[in-house]
Amino acid sequence: MGDNKRYPELRRRVSPGWWTASRHYAMYMVREWTSLFVALYSLIFIYGLSLWAMGSRADFLNFLKNPAIIGFSLVALVFTLYHAVTWFYLLGAIAPVKIGRSRTKPWQALILNLVLLVIVSYIAIWLLIFR
Amino acid sequence: MSQDIATIRVTRYRPEKDSKPYFQEYKVPYRHDMVVLDALNYIKAEMDGSLTYRWSCRMGVCGSCGANIDGEPKLTCASFLHDFKGRTITVEPMANFPVVKDLVVDMEDFMDKLVKIKPWIIRDKETPPEQGEYKQSAQELERYSQFSSCINCMLCYAACPIYGLNEKFLGPAATALAYRYIEDSRDQGKDVRFPVVHEMEGVWECTLVGECSVVCPKGVDPMLAIQKTKILGATNAIKSILMPRGGR
Amino acid sequence: MKVETHKIARLHAILWGIFSLGGMIAAFLLPVLLYLTAIAYPFNLWPFNGARDPSFLITGHRLGALFIFVTIAGSLFHGIFRFQSALTEVGLIKYRRALEAVGYFIISVGIIALAYYLATWYLNGTIS
Repeated sequence: MGDNKRYPELRRRVSPGWWTASRHYAMYMVREWTSLFVALYSLIFIYGLSLWAMGSRADFLNFLKNPAIIGFSLVALVFTLYHAVTWFYLLGAIAPVKIGRSRTKPWQALILNLVLLVIVSYIAIWLLIFR
Repeated sequence: MSQDIATIRVTRYRPEKDSKPYFQEYKVPYRHDMVVLDALNYIKAEMDGSLTYRWSCRMGVCGSCGANIDGEPKLTCASFLHDFKGRTITVEPMANFPVVKDLVVDMEDFMDKLVKIKPWIIRDKETPPEQGEYKQSAQELERYSQFSSCINCMLCYAACPIYGLNEKFLGPAATALAYRYIEDSRDQGKDVRFPVVHEMEGVWECTLVGECSVVCPKGVDPMLAIQKTKILGATNAIKSILMPRGGR
Repeated sequence: MKVETHKIARLHAILWGIFSLGGMIAAFLLPVLLYLTAIAYPFNLWPFNGARDPSFLITGHRLGALFIFVTIAGSLFHGIFRFQSALTEVGLIKYRRALEAVGYFIISVGIIALAYYLATWYLNGTIS
């Protein structure tokens, strides 16, 4: 606001590679880019469904057995699990639970939610496949 | 008798003389209990009086002495030389702020944001002094007390890459302070503060990098304040749709 | 004296809420779907070591179709929303508006297609 700046200030631009400066920043970038695989897998799955819609159920099943699709899906699974782990840790950081006088720590939320993930997955399989 | 030496590389920028910044190296006698600020004060007193930097309390409560030390935003008065390998450290002005001279940064943007969030108790109506003080329970105090520890050192802004990329972002400290007042049971200023924190350049720019809370010297945890403010924003938006004329 | 106006970004607040829900879905539901379609079925592991296959999820079971819809729609929204913001952080911040438009377009087309396929099969019963 005041125009008493007689000399130019040094303005430093942030380069697109800013995240390489420290491990924290790099891990953050990896965490954010897991979203690419989550989004891509969803689109590929919808594409697979379209093969069924335009063709037959066998087209969809062959699509699932395609080695390239399996390969990509396994990579997507790794990144999805990384997303889940970092997401659970963040939940612990954002929503600490008060127990008596102390608060829960993020790594505790991480472990609790991982256990929850296994339980939910098992329930999903039981409800969807065996019932 | 050989004396221990520490090498301090400091950014120099003198706009009236140079168009570009450069590093200047000083060799400073080293004692185990020295902090970076001690080294800077030694340089200024004994070696180069033109070195320019901010400091005041030298004990981590005033928030004046922020700098990027070996790439990390830290208070110079709270950074012990013995924590840095090889006794060579690089001291640069705090990242993401324009530099006025040497290690001094232009704080005006942060000051504007501080004023924007109105860091004071806002009442619809002040009760007269005869009615006594506003009472607050220990639980009510706990809802906001950690966020009131902010010393406005701006290390969180130096650490935040989103602020570096977009100067309009309200940023960690301003949001934490806004949240401090939003959660204060004595405050009735939500109508005034919500538009500031819930506009697009408010909390919505934050992508949870989390570095702000890592570098905060006072344990304010601005990341937590921002996320809680986002949740408030989302629930308010949903409420305003489901109950358009709903009372407060 | 400059008077500042601040406009609450209500729509963005809601989109952020959906993004967070999508994050929960991607964390809790996507792993099991990936396991079923990329490991259990192709390699004949439990629970697809018998007569069933993943298409059963969609046409054998209303709950299965709902599961697929919620998991894929939620993950798609979350992934695109976050990826679009990640792109602005690696130098593409100038193209923000365009990235948002493309992102929401992809999300809309994807979710409409997904809902259409699942609804068609549900209404038609099983198709071969």
